[in-house]
Amino acid sequence: MASTGETESVRARISFYEDQGQYRGIFSWILTTDHKRIGLLYFVSVITFFFSGVVLGFFMRLEMVAPGGTIMGPQTYNSLFTLHGIIMIFLVVIPAIPTIFGNFFLPIQIGARDVAFPRINLLSWWLYIAGAITVMVSVFTGGGPPDTGWTFYAPYSLRTTVNVPMAVFGVFILGFSSILTGINFVTSTHMLRAPGMTWKRLPLFVWSIYSTSWVQILATPVIGITMVLIFLERFFGVGVFDPAKGGDPILYQHLFWIYSHPATYIMILPAMGIVSDVVPVFARKKIFGYMAIAISGVAIAAVGSLVWGHHMFVSGQSDFADILFSLLTFLVAIPSAIKVFNWIATLHKGSIVLEPPLFFCLAFIFLFSIGGLTGLIQGALAPNLHLHDTYWIPGHFHYIIFGGMGFGLFAAFHYWFPKMFGRMYHRKTAKLAWLILLVGFNIFYFSMLLLGWEGMPRRYYDYLPQFRTLHLTATFGSWILIAGLIIMFANLFRGLLKGEKAEDNPWGGATLEWQIPSPPPTENFEEIPTVEKGPYDFK
Amino acid sequence: MSYGTYFWVWAGLIILTGTTVSLAGMQLGRWAIVLPLLIAGTKSGLILSYFMHLRSEKLLIFKVIIPLVMAVFLVFILLTFSDVAFRLGGAK
Amino acid sequence: MDEHKDYTGSKLGMWLFLLSEILLFGGLFILYSMYRYKHPVDFHLAAWELSRPLGTLNTLILLTSSLTMAFSIASLRRGDYRISKLFIIATIFLGFLFLGIKTIEWGAKIEHGIYPNSPRLLGRSKGEILFFGLYYSMTGLHALHILVGLLVLSIMFFLMIRGRINKDHCVPLENSGLYWHLVDIVWIFLFPLFYLIT
Repeated sequence: MASTGETESVRARISFYEDQGQYRGIFSWILTTDHKRIGLLYFVSVITFFFSGVVLGFFMRLEMVAPGGTIMGPQTYNSLFTLHGIIMIFLVVIPAIPTIFGNFFLPIQIGARDVAFPRINLLSWWLYIAGAITVMVSVFTGGGPPDTGWTFYAPYSLRTTVNVPMAVFGVFILGFSSILTGINFVTSTHMLRAPGMTWKRLPLFVWSIYSTSWVQILATPVIGITMVLIFLERFFGVGVFDPAKGGDPILYQHLFWIYSHPATYIMILPAMGIVSDVVPVFARKKIFGYMAIAISGVAIAAVGSLVWGHHMFVSGQSDFADILFSLLTFLVAIPSAIKVFNWIATLHKGSIVLEPPLFFCLAFIFLFSIGGLTGLIQGALAPNLHLHDTYWIPGHFHYIIFGGMGFGLFAAFHYWFPKMFGRMYHRKTAKLAWLILLVGFNIFYFSMLLLGWEGMPRRYYDYLPQFRTLHLTATFGSWILIAGLIIMFANLFRGLLKGEKAEDNPWGGATLEWQIPSPPPTENFEEIPTVEKGPYDFK
Repeated sequence: MSYGTYFWVWAGLIILTGTTVSLAGMQLGRWAIVLPLLIAGTKSGLILSYFMHLRSEKLLIFKVIIPLVMAVFLVFILLTFSDVAFRLGGAK
Repeated sequence: MDEHKDYTGSKLGMWLFLLSEILLFGGLFILYSMYRYKHPVDFHLAAWELSRPLGTLNTLILLTSSLTMAFSIASLRRGDYRISKLFIIATIFLGFLFLGIKTIEWGAKIEHGIYPNSPRLLGRSKGEILFFGLYYSMTGLHALHILVGLLVLSIMFFLMIRGRINKDHCVPLENSGLYWHLVDIVWIFLFPLFYLIT
């Protein structure tokens, strides 16, 4: 942390990019303990893995454009969708917003100089990279990439000869990274808030990261032990999931989904937090129902941890469990709906400023709503019988994850870009990219919903001729979507290199990050502020 | 906390251990599952409160976390039982 | 920097980590309860094969190690560094004793041909196979945690020799103590569930 000869006030004025700390060059990045640099390390890593996931998806859609084999064999296809899932879920969607924007902005938004445990924060990133490398290595070693789907269901995952052990070990390491990040954020929020920053004055983004962090701490260990058990089963044959030894594969599914359903809330809550922060700024109006949104986030985290059996309605679990989980699933829709109503109420009679961050938030609300409503349909037992393991399911979850979390992430990119980089991107191009994305997205994933409704099974390499048209449409939509992604990222990248210098507060936000320079100095604040206003008090 | 307090807590733990071992030999029916768990819970409570100093922690968060994790665990186990204990045709 | 906040924050972080450890073992306890529910008689039969005396002895050892751990922290806070270090050594010694007994137990079982995937075990009933699968997994994971704890305590010992842990900076030892007590608590539940269900 020492900088030779520089006084506190100088360090408070130069941007964190210029202040390298005690290391030089690349080491000033990969050995940093500055939460902002760590956020950017994640930024680069997550985007890299996002693109790998997109490429895998692109080839999946290319294969599925026509029935029968098109460009690959079935084993390859199975591995592609498995890897696509593992990468997108564990390397992109679960970490993205907390590790990029939680790291960069949570400390600033609560009025602190860094997180509670900066070195553990760095360790989290190193574990993330280690986990990612382990997963990548599993692709090229030990029998080849896993073909089980990202869900690694027993007993197939216990018997298939591909490199499941290494892949699940990678997931285990990634889980550890996630737990440590959760611990860091909960502790920071409790202990490091600036004077006057009461819980009721926290930005809703902080509330969402806080709720998410609890889920990370409490749910992730369960998938940790489940991955360990796959390992133990494969190498020692303990028998807990192996029917030949009395094991119950349904119990595997329970343990797996006890984490993996709450994981979807780890994915969506931070994105909702972003929407809650962005909408007021671009409606120039206080958020409608601050406490309702804050508490509903906690409620989603809590109730959302009780619904995992809705992934298992047709697995053979008891009817009683089916009914119970279906009921709980309907209940968890309520706090989500509360948020949607409150965002819309905030926009109502607001002074709307039509900028890219708001566009992405509006798309979020629309796409998330479709995702949520389709979730209710499949959460009802009778429809689920028909829809489970059809294309409806990936249609649903891409609406929620990509349409929801993804667009929330893009909103965050466009909102906080000037603060992080001190530059502005070309806004018209951003809006164009947004439109292309929205169009491509809906052509692609709505086709999936229709395919599923008509009975097309998921994770199938081949299909009946009656599904051709919709598959063709979906693949076509995927190309438009990818074009939108390219334009969006190219625009941001160009903004990074050549964009106009941005002011400290181009959007007129009231949260603390907009009261400090763009980009921020290392210590964030020259003096820790005393907070007297709420986060959406625009005066 | 004083050395004395720790010693008495330890003595209590030893006595509880003796109790639970003696109970193991008896025919207790339904209670055979509940009693040892209650005793284990009491021993854990002693360790949490005294050895781990939860008793002297003042902030709300410290008081909340153990009940929270117990509630989470309880919910996980009960909901899983809602499947396993209610399968038709006998759980196999 | 607010030192009190740092101290409390450090403790809070450790507690949160312990919560995650509880849920890590929790997954195994969930499996245990499901399989015991399904195979109560088999579990009862299989438990006969474990040595209750050795299990009880190990329980007493670990409980005593928690006492010595608590003592080492209390003496550190008073500035009695020599006594504190002695109690850390005692804790480490008791931990090794525990692992030694565990090794004997496992060794005996393995010699008798009872271990995951052994032909002898596979010839038994499903409930017994599951019992021993869970026995090895859970006591194994627990033993791993003891091992890590011993490593951590050794590091604490050296840091105390160097003076890096002292009366004014005791949180590393306290956090190590929290970890050690948790590992004791896990055993407190493992013991009756595996050794006392006869």
